[in-house]
Amino acid sequence: MIELPLIFVGGLLGSAHCLGMCGPLAISLSAGAPAGSNQLQRQLVFSVGRIFTYGFCGAAAGFGGAWLSNESRTLVLSQAWLAILAGVLLLLMGLVTAGVLPRPTARLLGGLPCGAAVGLKTFLSAPGWLGALIAGVFTGFIPCGLVYAFLLKAGSTGDMWLGWLTMAVFGLGTVPLMVLVGYGGQFLSVVSRAKILHVAAWCIVLTGGISVARGVAQLNPPAEAVTADCPFCEAEGQGNSPGVATPGL
Amino acid sequence: MSNDAPPRYCDFCGLPLTASFAFGHPRSKAALEEYCCSGCQTVASVENSKQENGAAAHQLLRLGLAVFFTMNVMVFTMALWSQDIYAAEAFATPLASSLRGVFRWASLLFSAPVLFLLGGPIARGVWSALRRRAITTDLLILLGIAAAYGYSVVSVVRDAGHVYFEVGAMVLVFVSIGRWLEAKGKLQTGESLDALARLLPAKVQRLDDQGNFAETARKEVRTGDVLRVLPGERFPVDGVLVGGQALVDEHIVTGESRYTEKTDGDTVYSGSLNVDGDVRIEVTAADGNETVSRILNLVRQARREKGYHQRLADRIATWFVPAVCVIAIVAGWLQGQEHGLDRGIMTTLAVVLISCPCALGLATPMAVWTALGRAARSGVLFRSGLVMERLATVQYACFDKTGTLTTGKPSTGELVVSVGESRDYVRETAAHLAAGSTHGLSQAIVHFQRQEISDWRPSKDIAVESLPGRGLMAEVADVGPVVLGSRRLMDENRLHWLDDLQPNATEVEPSEHQVFIGWDGKVRGAFFFAEQLRPEAAEAFDACRQLNLDLRMLTGDEQQRAIAIGNRLEIPTVSQQLPEEKAATLQSLAQQGPVAMVGDGLNDAPALATADVGVALGCGADLSRDTAGVCLLADDLRGFPWAVGLARETLRVVKQNLFWAFAYNICGIALATTGRLNPIWAALAMAISSIMVVGNSLRLGRYPELGNHSEAEESSDKLRSTINQKTESSQPRLVTTAP
Repeated sequence: MIELPLIFVGGLLGSAHCLGMCGPLAISLSAGAPAGSNQLQRQLVFSVGRIFTYGFCGAAAGFGGAWLSNESRTLVLSQAWLAILAGVLLLLMGLVTAGVLPRPTARLLGGLPCGAAVGLKTFLSAPGWLGALIAGVFTGFIPCGLVYAFLLKAGSTGDMWLGWLTMAVFGLGTVPLMVLVGYGGQFLSVVSRAKILHVAAWCIVLTGGISVARGVAQLNPPAEAVTADCPFCEAEGQGNSPGVATPGL
Repeated sequence: MSNDAPPRYCDFCGLPLTASFAFGHPRSKAALEEYCCSGCQTVASVENSKQENGAAAHQLLRLGLAVFFTMNVMVFTMALWSQDIYAAEAFATPLASSLRGVFRWASLLFSAPVLFLLGGPIARGVWSALRRRAITTDLLILLGIAAAYGYSVVSVVRDAGHVYFEVGAMVLVFVSIGRWLEAKGKLQTGESLDALARLLPAKVQRLDDQGNFAETARKEVRTGDVLRVLPGERFPVDGVLVGGQALVDEHIVTGESRYTEKTDGDTVYSGSLNVDGDVRIEVTAADGNETVSRILNLVRQARREKGYHQRLADRIATWFVPAVCVIAIVAGWLQGQEHGLDRGIMTTLAVVLISCPCALGLATPMAVWTALGRAARSGVLFRSGLVMERLATVQYACFDKTGTLTTGKPSTGELVVSVGESRDYVRETAAHLAAGSTHGLSQAIVHFQRQEISDWRPSKDIAVESLPGRGLMAEVADVGPVVLGSRRLMDENRLHWLDDLQPNATEVEPSEHQVFIGWDGKVRGAFFFAEQLRPEAAEAFDACRQLNLDLRMLTGDEQQRAIAIGNRLEIPTVSQQLPEEKAATLQSLAQQGPVAMVGDGLNDAPALATADVGVALGCGADLSRDTAGVCLLADDLRGFPWAVGLARETLRVVKQNLFWAFAYNICGIALATTGRLNPIWAALAMAISSIMVVGNSLRLGRYPELGNHSEAEESSDKLRSTINQKTESSQPRLVTTAP
């Protein structure tokens, strides 16, 4: 998957946007921790929890995509259409973030993260690494446009393990900034966050563009490649993907 | 379970325990902690352990950890399903086949902790129910989950057959999260009451033997103690002011939005706010018996009486559980015969999950309790949930006049005495009698006397007899029997009318009250009082009309006066009704539809008791008026339509809840018995169903507040000035004939 590095960069730079939402959770993980606990370790465990959830959701999306294309294979090339849909959404989202398109006025579930911080308080302030892990697991479920867009991308892979991989890579990309924020507090100014976000936006646009191109290519395949609709499924689906042994972490 | 058995309540949320199928008798009556569901049990253990370091977190971590393990199980299960989708590839190589085995073992490994973490609390709930000799659906759910696990373990070991670890784990997670949210929601039914209880300070300043004020717990205060209350503090108990003076905000108790000035000898109520004085009070009612506690106790009592809908739900729930057991087992057996053992287990589990009567049991009490608490927060006390159900259905509303439609405090009147009588003597004699009654006109006569002689005290030697609807009678030294009251009372006692007091000798305004006094064969004097319409009456009546209530005025007063007031409010009047006649009028009206009677609860107790729902106004200071089913703490007529609105909304919510619970159960069972419902969806639906009922009921807690005070006062001022203008322009004032 040539997008994987792009997805990683999308996650890495896109998490500048996440700092607004998930950042406070990471900070309260440090602030609420009992004295003497290893902050870096807690932050890493928290991120592992998040990646675990992203991976789980990615696997579910990938499985859903596989199931959908299997169910509808005689009707439409749903995997191709999913790729196009995910691509278009990523394009739109990237263009909106880059400021090319106007920002939609209504924000879906905008107030949720604040409520989530209250709900996760017990986990965030619990001693030991278990609380941090569980807090991370639940943080991963917080609605986020960026996550949704990449989930659609994961669904369009039409393979469970590829879906898992897509989201896990995205999650890995979000680790550095989140850990730094949680560990070192507010080190990025609003201006620098905006600049990073701008670069991230174009990464997302690029990922979307590739996804659309891939979908269109699948819709008009060269005659000999009709059955091999995803060259990676074969390779990864055989069981040699890194996902097999790791989901349990 | 017999309906006669004393109702039992959950030790956590306080809601009644869902009626369930019971066998035998509990072995001991020892105080077992009883919870209505495993959610309450778990949340209770978290709440109880909040003091202990980390124990609360421990319980939540269990749930979080179980979710984590379940997500793992789901990933492995999806991997297995993926192999089913691409079956050709999955079984093509030996590696793929052995991966399949790995996934199955991994599912077993990760689902076992879930069974231990979440099955434990449910098992404890089932065990405590069994000790109460009750069979709950939780028992069946637990058995179903255990069967699914058992079957899957055997499949893994034999390396053949389906595995259902994900079903067991997901069902446990959904049931636990659902119950948890449900328990949290249920606790909110009492939130309004807790807010009231929190008004009282926990610590008070009590005068000790050395003459110093020492900080003491409120619970240790006894009647007769002297407490110091500083400005800005709430009075912790009921008492009498024995030092200092203060402006007091009694809104919480009497609904009066203006501050009341209190000085030595005045009564103060617990919960009311000392605005500006450093005062001492002598305790008259200690903790537990003071006003706020009495209000809370009334509401708690009200919650214990089950209404019609709750009894209906209870009756159904009693046979529901055994019926579901039978349906589940039969459906499971049939499916098992046709499609194999695993399908049978799944069907049974789906049936018991989808038919869990949680929503049914919660439907009524959740809504009614939330509404009772909401009403109490706005100073409306319902004696029971049943009263609330009845108030929702009333079609007719009858109002007493004096003290209900009018302020009950007639404006300072005039006294006309017959020629030769001492004006002061007549006024004082009348005041002695009037002091023995709480009727508005009697109070006005006492007030009238105090305006002349400010330190006047009523005689303690005069025993006053009250003649309902007519007046008062007493034996006064020197003059013999004295009667004070209506024209009718004078005629009944054959008192002679002197010329200057003849009915046609004085020009009387239609809305004016006359009270006569006479002794020794003659009518000696007449008091004239102008009644003041309540400023909020017109607004309250508009609200009543919007609720399509048929309004009447029912009064013992004379026709002329009644019609004058009735016309102003545009309602039909029935006048000259003695208390027993009021009751008869209400009874005949009740044949056409449910009737509510609104009165001040003082002299219309029989009418309040006769009506389907009696509503007493302004009983904040006197909660003992229990002839009324609904008590409006505030002396504000608008509380009545507000209460009707809330009651109707509550009934609507109860019906929605019951409809939803029934419809959900019936459709769900039908779907589950055919084996088309995966237990995971059934568990999700079960959790969503209960949470919907809880959420729908908690909406009542956000029922809008009764009017905005500043607005209401503005409009009442306007209304008052219009009424006064009308009064002034109608007829010239009466001229007193001096003795």
